Amino acid sequence: MILQLGHYLALSTVLFTIGAAGFLFRRNVLVALMSVELMMNAVNLTFVAANRWQPAVASAAGGASVVPHHGHLFAFFVIAVAAAEAAVGLAIVLAFYRLRKTVRTDAADLLRG
Amino acid sequence: MIPASTQQLAAFVFFAVMAIVSAVATVAFRNPIRNAVGLFVHVLALAGLYITLSAHFLTAVQLIVYVGAVVVLFVFVIMLLGPASEPPADSAGRLPRIVGAGSIVGVGLFVARVVADLQPARPDATADFGTIETVGRELFGPSMLPFEMASVLLTAAIVGAFAVARGYNQGKVRMSSSTPSDASEGAES
Repeated sequence: MILQLGHYLALSTVLFTIGAAGFLFRRNVLVALMSVELMMNAVNLTFVAANRWQPAVASAAGGASVVPHHGHLFAFFVIAVAAAEAAVGLAIVLAFYRLRKTVRTDAADLLRG
Repeated sequence: MIPASTQQLAAFVFFAVMAIVSAVATVAFRNPIRNAVGLFVHVLALAGLYITLSAHFLTAVQLIVYVGAVVVLFVFVIMLLGPASEPPADSAGRLPRIVGAGSIVGVGLFVARVVADLQPARPDATADFGTIETVGRELFGPSMLPFEMASVLLTAAIVGAFAVARGYNQGKVRMSSSTPSDASEGAES
C-alpha cells in the first residue's frame, strides 16, 4: 500500500468536520475559536498535499521543469490570516467578557431584536 | 531494511492518528486548558504531516506561528479569564447537539471515503521541493504583492486587537464606581 493523495484528502476532511462540529455545537467562545483554527489547518493540509502531487511544468526561464509551490504559498497566507484572526478574535473575547462576564456564545444577544 | 514507501505510510498513519485524536480533544473537553493542549498537539501533528509532504518551509512556519503565537495567545486569554473561561454546563439540549455533531461527522466520513479514492500518480520530489530557499524565491518573486499585503493585514490586526481589547473609555474621567453588570463601563473589570 502506497501513500496516496486520497489519504491526505480524507484525513483533512475528517479534521475539518471535527472542527466544524466543534464550532457549531460548543457554546464556549474559546473552543469555537479553536475549532476555526482546526478547520483552517485542515484546509492547509489539503493545499500542501495537492501541491505535493502537482506535476512539474516547464519553467518560464526555459530551464529544467519545476514544480510550482502555489499550494505552499496559499497555505502560508492562510496561516497569516489565521494568526490575525486569532489575535482579533481573542481581543473580542476579552471585550465580550468585560461586557457580559461570561464566554458563552448564547450570551451574545445585544443585537437581538 | 524497511522500504521507503512503508516508512512514509507509517509516518503518515502515526501523525494522522495523532491529529485526529488531538482534534477531538480540542473540541470535546470541558476544561479550556485541555482544549488548548489538544490544539498544541494538533499543530505538532500537522507539522509532522507537512514533513511527510516534504514542505520544510511550511513546517517551520507552522511551528513558529502556531506553537509560538496562536496557542500561547489562547493559553494567555484562558489564564486571564480564569474560572470564567469554563462556563457551567447546561444539560438542556445536550442530546440534539450530540446527534447533530454525530451527523455532521457522519457526512464528513462519507466525503472522506469518496475523496480517498483519488489516486493520481505522484511525481518524484526534487531535492529543492518545499525548501525555504525555493519557497522564499517564489514568495519574494511572483507573490511579492500578496506578501506585502499580508504584512498590512497583520499590522491592521494588531492595531484592531489593541483597540478592541483596550475598551472605549480608557482615558476618560470616570464618573463613579460602576457595578460589574454596567455594560457602558467597558473598561472597568
